Amino acid sequence: MNAIEIRNLTKNFGQKQALNGLNMTVPQGAIYGFIGENGSGKSTTEKIICGLIHPSGGEVKLFGKDYKDAEVRSKIGVLIESPGCFPNYSVWNNMMLQAANLGIANAEEEVRKVLQVVHMEGSASNKYKNCSLGMKQRIGIAFALLGNPALLILDEPINGLDADGMRIMREVLTGVTKNYNCTVVISSHILGELEKIATHYGIVRGGKMIAEMTAEELNANCPTFVALKAKDTATAKAALERKYSRVETDEEGYIRIYDGVKAEEVVSYLYNGLNIAVTEIKTNKIGLEEYYIDLMKEGR
Amino acid sequence: MQNFLNKLKTMLKVDFKRMFTMPLVYIMAGVSLAMPILILVMTSMMGGSEDGAAMFTNVWQAISSVSGGESAGMSMDLTTMCNMNLMYFLIAVLVCVFTAEDFRSGYAKNLFTVRAKKVDYVFSKSLVCFTGGAIMILAYFIGAMLGGAIAGLPFTTEGFNAGGIIACLFAKIFLVAVFVAIFLTFAVVAKQRTWLSILLSIGVGAFMFMMIPMMTPLNATFIHVVMTLAGGAIFAVALGAVSNLILNKTSLV
Repeated sequence: MNAIEIRNLTKNFGQKQALNGLNMTVPQGAIYGFIGENGSGKSTTEKIICGLIHPSGGEVKLFGKDYKDAEVRSKIGVLIESPGCFPNYSVWNNMMLQAANLGIANAEEEVRKVLQVVHMEGSASNKYKNCSLGMKQRIGIAFALLGNPALLILDEPINGLDADGMRIMREVLTGVTKNYNCTVVISSHILGELEKIATHYGIVRGGKMIAEMTAEELNANCPTFVALKAKDTATAKAALERKYSRVETDEEGYIRIYDGVKAEEVVSYLYNGLNIAVTEIKTNKIGLEEYYIDLMKEGR
Repeated sequence: MQNFLNKLKTMLKVDFKRMFTMPLVYIMAGVSLAMPILILVMTSMMGGSEDGAAMFTNVWQAISSVSGGESAGMSMDLTTMCNMNLMYFLIAVLVCVFTAEDFRSGYAKNLFTVRAKKVDYVFSKSLVCFTGGAIMILAYFIGAMLGGAIAGLPFTTEGFNAGGIIACLFAKIFLVAVFVAIFLTFAVVAKQRTWLSILLSIGVGAFMFMMIPMMTPLNATFIHVVMTLAGGAIFAVALGAVSNLILNKTSLV
């Protein structure tokens, strides 16, 4: 059974169409990286899943049931925009309020546990308004983790986190999926970080899902390339363009050849055949960020 | 049903805790206490003013007017304007600020994500705001007694008795439920826009302001108490259903 199944989801805000027949499938236990430009419909989709806004059309199912089902909704943990804390309350009191709302029996123990998970146990007595942005993000995660949710919806959870915060976040998210079979939907613009944890990806543009794939499929879709610098770059590039079909220059001045060639073959072609000296050469693979940028360029 | 009651219990626990751990209710109670003291002391200091404005001649006028008396019903002299009825406007501020805080802080977002049904939220909010409003009414009553004593106004009763005063106080407290239901409806319409909910609440409250003296006179009887109690219950249920519908049909963020 899929944790989330969305079919033909539409949402209009007046004349503006935020979602235009979006389809989305999130398998249970996945860490689903939900990617798209600003205004592409990510947050709108997440808010619909959480029941905070109503769709104009389409079908949303969570764990095989309608998204409005009370039982299913009680299994969701959410961090959208802000953690939803009262600024004048301490972190602890905010957490206890949420625990009460969730009807958690052993609230104190549970709150202490989730604060430990996000390494915030020492700041429980701090007033929420005095917490830093990174601390607030961690509190938001702790909020979302309360009550052992089966589905976590996290909108930009790594914004404002320092390197240690990001590491903790990675640990937490991989931990909850492994240990509790929790499904995580995480939208973020920090694709390098997302790439380290996501098992599935959904790329949305203009309110439509343009690609959905597993991390393995993404890996297979991301081509390897040879990047090189030569003494005479212009001549080298012209020569390579004659031989290979896809040759580009990146922002660092490297010439990239994408045709699955080997570095030795390129060096041999340039030096032995054309007497062009190669000063630097490496083999690499494009990452999620470049794949995403390429995909976005294709649509423009 | 059991599930609903359990959820309502936790919701009430949270809302009561919030209401009584935030400064708002204490500020409002303080203002409610101070207001009649200031009104009674200041107007007694202005006593016999040349413009002929009606001044307070006894303490009870700060609470309400006598049905069929000079300042009852639609008349708008100083004693009918500056009495306990003003509290309903302050209660609007309490309800609107308290509810808007849920939406502004994002608390409502967390709550409604895990709770598909909103009826316990509306019910709890109504009950807690009613309690806050009742405290303000009682604070005003105490303030009026203190203010009357400080100003040296007589506690004499003409055309009503102690039973009437008690019935009047109960009627005013039960009438809080009517106004809370109205204000809460506007608060859920306006969500985080506190200014809009206060504006709508005070605007509509002003229309209803005229009927308060008729519903809660100093010579109130058991009938007034029952009528305001019934009115409070009917408004709470009917407008509670409207508030619930609004929360179910509109965006919550």
